[in-house]
Amino acid sequence: MVNIVLKESRLLSLLGLEDKDLNDVLFNLKSEVEKKGEDELEIEINSDRLDMLSPEGIKRAVEGILGRKLGEAKYEVTPTDYQMIIEDVESRPYALGAIIYDVKLDDDRIKEIIQFQEKLHCTIGRRRKKVAIGIHDLDKIDGKTIKYSKIPLDYKFIPLNSDKEMSVSDVLSSTEQGKLYGYISINGSYSPAILQEDGQVLSIPPIINSNKTRLEASTKNLFIDVTGTSLSAVAQTLDILVSNFAEGGSKIGAIKVSRYVDKSPLLIHDRLSVKTEDISKRLGLSLSTEEVSKYIRMMRMDTNINGDDIEVIVPPYRIDIMTFVDVAEDVAMAYGYRSFNLPKYTSKGMGELLPITKLERAFRDLAIGGGFQEIFTFVLNKSSLLSGNYVKIENPITLEYDSVRNSLIWNMLKFLAKNQHARFPVRTFEVGDVVIRNIESDTGYKNDTRACLAIMNSKVSYEELQSVIHQILYNLKGKEPNYVKEDKDYFIKGRSAKILINNNEVGEIGEISPEILEKFNIENPVVIVEIYLEKLCG
Amino acid sequence: MLSENEIKIIDFLKKKENKSAYSTELSSIIPETAVFSLAYLLKEKGYVDVREEEKDLVMLTKEGEERLKEGLPEDNLVNFLKGESKKVQEIAKLFKDFNIALSWARKKGLIKVDKGEVVPLKSSYTSPEYSVLKKVSSSQELSEEDRKYLKELESRGLIEIKKNKVLLLTLIREPQIRPSITYLTPELLRNKEWTKYELKEYNVEALPPFITLGKKHYFREFLEHVKDVMVSLGFKEVKSDFVEMEFYNFDMLFQAQDHPAREIHDSFKVNGKGELLNKSLVSKVKEVHEKLWKYEWNEEIAKSLVLRSQTTATTARVLSTSPSKEIKVFTIGKVFRPDAIDATHLIEFHQLDGLVIDESFNFRELLSTLKAIFSGIGIKEVKFKPAYFPFTEPSVEVYGYIQGLGWVEMAGAGLLRPEVTEPAGVKMPAGAWGLGLDRLAMLFLGIKDIRDLYSDDIEYLRNRKVVY
Repeated sequence: MVNIVLKESRLLSLLGLEDKDLNDVLFNLKSEVEKKGEDELEIEINSDRLDMLSPEGIKRAVEGILGRKLGEAKYEVTPTDYQMIIEDVESRPYALGAIIYDVKLDDDRIKEIIQFQEKLHCTIGRRRKKVAIGIHDLDKIDGKTIKYSKIPLDYKFIPLNSDKEMSVSDVLSSTEQGKLYGYISINGSYSPAILQEDGQVLSIPPIINSNKTRLEASTKNLFIDVTGTSLSAVAQTLDILVSNFAEGGSKIGAIKVSRYVDKSPLLIHDRLSVKTEDISKRLGLSLSTEEVSKYIRMMRMDTNINGDDIEVIVPPYRIDIMTFVDVAEDVAMAYGYRSFNLPKYTSKGMGELLPITKLERAFRDLAIGGGFQEIFTFVLNKSSLLSGNYVKIENPITLEYDSVRNSLIWNMLKFLAKNQHARFPVRTFEVGDVVIRNIESDTGYKNDTRACLAIMNSKVSYEELQSVIHQILYNLKGKEPNYVKEDKDYFIKGRSAKILINNNEVGEIGEISPEILEKFNIENPVVIVEIYLEKLCG
Repeated sequence: MLSENEIKIIDFLKKKENKSAYSTELSSIIPETAVFSLAYLLKEKGYVDVREEEKDLVMLTKEGEERLKEGLPEDNLVNFLKGESKKVQEIAKLFKDFNIALSWARKKGLIKVDKGEVVPLKSSYTSPEYSVLKKVSSSQELSEEDRKYLKELESRGLIEIKKNKVLLLTLIREPQIRPSITYLTPELLRNKEWTKYELKEYNVEALPPFITLGKKHYFREFLEHVKDVMVSLGFKEVKSDFVEMEFYNFDMLFQAQDHPAREIHDSFKVNGKGELLNKSLVSKVKEVHEKLWKYEWNEEIAKSLVLRSQTTATTARVLSTSPSKEIKVFTIGKVFRPDAIDATHLIEFHQLDGLVIDESFNFRELLSTLKAIFSGIGIKEVKFKPAYFPFTEPSVEVYGYIQGLGWVEMAGAGLLRPEVTEPAGVKMPAGAWGLGLDRLAMLFLGIKDIRDLYSDDIEYLRNRKVVY
């Protein structure tokens, strides 16, 4: 999801819509609108519809879904005598460019363009790693040849919004963009660069443009460079950019390119063939070929009908259309999600809970019967409170939750520590998953469903809890468990045991040692039992 | 039911001639201060009649008490003489209060004085006044005869007479009086002994002491309820583990490896690598990624471990088993995402994911299934918005109408792309959805702070009203 902010009055007049219709139309185009300031709208654009990241793209889509304009929006492309020479730039091998004639800029429009550029950087550009865009005032470029090359780090230019000359190294170390994006493209002692024929820097992608070709309200014509690590992403980005400028009334100028392709922008058209039947079947509708074709054209794509087959011509701005299922979605959107007549839900088979869920429920019921309050704690815990083998998170948000619990005992003690001043006795239980090491699992770890009961009081006894768990286990298994003395370092010596059913260890019970109570800041004695539910299951 | 003191009063009255007694008399068995309130209690219960009277209250003075202890001087004088005459001067030396004794003994005609000698007219004597003093001291009732002496005793400064309010209690109904006990015992029941006793009444209006009630956790109950809804719609439950390979969390779901959602800050990383055992599945996933996303797919990234960030990973696990028959499964479980923790965000929360694989499944069926699920949970009005998810096409977001809040986004869903199902060998259409349950629970349970769903305050849990 990407959010853009636009001037409300400007957008409404561009779309020819009333305020109240805008929400509705955009909702059906995957977008939501929220009023921000006095004359500002925040619009949520889905990350597949990059063509809608500027007002012109929204206009093109809205006109289609409202049926005002159908089929592909076709834009005039004029040949130019500009050329782009592309040299070897290992860290960022691909670059394309285009010219836009007759732009009408003002401060708002410049803001929109910068926002459009930034949003493309974040999405298809993968935060400028895959694609970066430079937009320049064409008339400030000297000469008709533009070079994509690499320059040494001591190469100097005046970066955007600065008035002094800096070396690339200075830009990397002292500007915000340098710090944010410098790591992406610097290869040894060279940086990629878009240069004038005479060697003056126009931009050092993906970091920053030169101040030389800075956009102003008076700017009439643009040069756009797009660089990156994927030729198709670079081409798509440029196609979307020029299409949207053209939708706004500007003309696209094609330039000669010295590598991979002859000219740029590519304005790629994909063709794919879909069958009416496949679309209808996927959507659960019975549509005629003409209807399907009309809906596709409402989404601003062209079609050729060929019997039951429809050839879809995917325009350059619709980079999200990959296969027939993408077309099916567009048909559904044009048909209208709200127009689907929904059948009454019917179920063929019976549903069922997992055996462990049924066991959890039975266990919980019995623990409730024993007078215990159920608690529900976080799976994530603080590693200093855990012991034994547990999963440590490599990139925790906070030390409070930097690991995954490997026993419910630690979570229970943490809970009890917070309830020293509650009405006593505190009798609590929890049923839930912990994560333990398991070599048989393909990840090396496994969830283990457990149950834990505890009593905290000014005086507790082993027997007081043992009597409860004994009855719970007996009721679950129809067999009396037995207890084998076993010392654990977190229990008081001689006051803990493992619990066995049919010689299978199903849990442990004991009185928590004073050292552990101290570690958890608990000032009252606690007796705890943990049961391995999965061992009881089946 | 009568108290011990009430029974004492009734017993006292029963023994009296006309079943009446003054409150002053009762002070011999019960402190007089208590008599008043008890008398009225008995009246209320219909056992006695109570009449208020103004009555002389006769009390000994300090001197009177002394005389009661030592005897009246005139009596003492007579008893001292033991019938023999003695010289006045001789007695005066030995006898205390001689003048008083002499004067009263002469007045009462107990002695005469003759030629300097005291001549006793009786050999021993106790004045009737003395027995009156005695009765006064023990609050016994005075006879008419006794009363004649009161004036004289008062003038001698031995008694005081005050007007006082007293109660006259008259027994009008005799209760069936049995000894009272607090507890019934098996013995008492077994041999019918209990009939001999009165069971003591309790203060039934007092508030009780605290006990620990066994109670289910309210949020868990909500999750269990949602499981029941899914089962009732014909879904079978499945589950998978928290620690997951990126392969199942992302790659199988057609999420490109350079997608921003896969960056370091968007999921919790776990040290180590998993093992991708199904080689053919892996190579097919690689193929579709490279064909459609146009990049070089890296198996090492796919093997990286994360805490699953979506329960759709469970759906991917189910798909990876290449189900050949039609299935309908669901899972409800924890997912983990790095975020700032506040009243509306946690780093772990619950999702419900569902998967339907069926030859005749389609988008319309999917919408109808989603509607049925929300209706089961309690949201009757839903609307559908086109959406984007990497692994579904068409995709849809479900909005539910909540009273007081309006339309709230609830779930993401769609038909799985062939790029997701086909590498697993599933040729049939498949629908899938994911639904965050914590926010929904907050709406249903009236919770403002998401952290309350996992409250560490037992009193909060104890005091929360149960939802039913």
